[in-house]
Amino acid sequence: MRAFGSLVHLNNVSGGVLAGDRLALDVDVQAGAAAQITTTGATRLYRHRAGAADSEQRARLSVGDGALLEYLPDPVIPYAGSRHVQRTEIRLGRGSTLFWWEVLAPGRLAAGERFAFERLRVQTEVYAGSRPVLREDYLLEPKKKNLSATARMFEYTHTASLCAIQEGRPPAFWRALEDRLNELARSRTEHGKAVWGASMLASDGVAVRGLSMSGCFIHETLIEFWRTARQAITGKDAVPPRKIY
Amino acid sequence: MLLGETALLRLLQLADSALPIGGTAHSFGLETLADEDALAPEGVEAFLSAYLEEGGALEAAFVRRAYRKVELQALSAELSARKLARESREASLKLGRRFAELVNGMLEQPLLETGLHYCITFGAAGAALGIPADAVVLAYLNQSIAGLVSSCQRLMPLGQLAASKILWGLKPAIVRASLSQRASGTEEVSCFSPYLELASMRHGSLETRLFIS
Repeated sequence: MRAFGSLVHLNNVSGGVLAGDRLALDVDVQAGAAAQITTTGATRLYRHRAGAADSEQRARLSVGDGALLEYLPDPVIPYAGSRHVQRTEIRLGRGSTLFWWEVLAPGRLAAGERFAFERLRVQTEVYAGSRPVLREDYLLEPKKKNLSATARMFEYTHTASLCAIQEGRPPAFWRALEDRLNELARSRTEHGKAVWGASMLASDGVAVRGLSMSGCFIHETLIEFWRTARQAITGKDAVPPRKIY
Repeated sequence: MLLGETALLRLLQLADSALPIGGTAHSFGLETLADEDALAPEGVEAFLSAYLEEGGALEAAFVRRAYRKVELQALSAELSARKLARESREASLKLGRRFAELVNGMLEQPLLETGLHYCITFGAAGAALGIPADAVVLAYLNQSIAGLVSSCQRLMPLGQLAASKILWGLKPAIVRASLSQRASGTEEVSCFSPYLELASMRHGSLETRLFIS
């Protein structure tokens, strides 16, 4: 387990998340173990059905002392009329490592859908030991608040984020990694297509953010950031999930 | 609680943009947006109006929570975790420290803790000085928006009258932002501002910079 780790594919038999669905994912990576979790395809959020509760996906991931977790799901695609809540809580033990990315699409672009979902609530909490290192909490209601405002997504349609965290590393390490990731971000930024940036977190990690006009190239770029961060943090190359993005 | 005469005067001084804590050195990412022409004078009011619904509402909620004298260091750590962009996070902490030092220096007593975000220190100051909570939150947001408008004046051709009109026109949005958490009745505050966050992350990459953040 320590040398090779395990690879887990999450399958959703229904092919998507339906109104009223409540999905729970509990992952416990034990001390010293290594795991990579991915999905077989995008998480499709279907249209809300009158009378049903908002669909909900709750993930609780715990990474034991010295363990490694790579949580690399495919994009979330909220279809027209969907209402969904996503709650993620990740707790890292002493010296443990996390790589996690997330991509949010605006809908089924090929079908002309763009920000046609009803609402999407995303709540994320990551703790290194008892320290909160990353917290996000947002409610998107495109019909009430214009997502294309400059203070929100500007002209872009897709958001991408990657965080790389290792409990206990000193700030100087993260500051140096921030500079390296920002160099890569500069070379991958093309205004009107995609914009990337990186920053060290309050402690124990770095975050990479991206906004893009299309889903193309997002994963290619995320993999580059992940490779750079993984090499710096673990001294080993990233092994991408074997699939076509 | 009514806003008494002395409380009003104290609040006016603490929320004055001329308060010497170094606020004018920070643009919180606006310099990147102006540099890349994503923000121009005609778009400033709409930009700040959306900002108030996101980052403004978030900070207002933390002023209010700090006012209720919860454990302030933990509250500040929580806000640090929500501020992903280092420069903006560090600027907020730096202003908080200088604000606390100034108030403690004026009062010649350690009234305020240091090492906290600006909005948290401001909320704690309001409570310690007996200024009503709603007034404290409104004053914090008003000075914060005034600071951003003033940054815009230095970053783009935005005249004094136009800048004053923007700040005047944003009052209803400031009031809404100050109440958004109280209206929701929970501690949960939504904030979604990825393009501004990216602007702050990318600020260090600009070739010439007027501002620290």
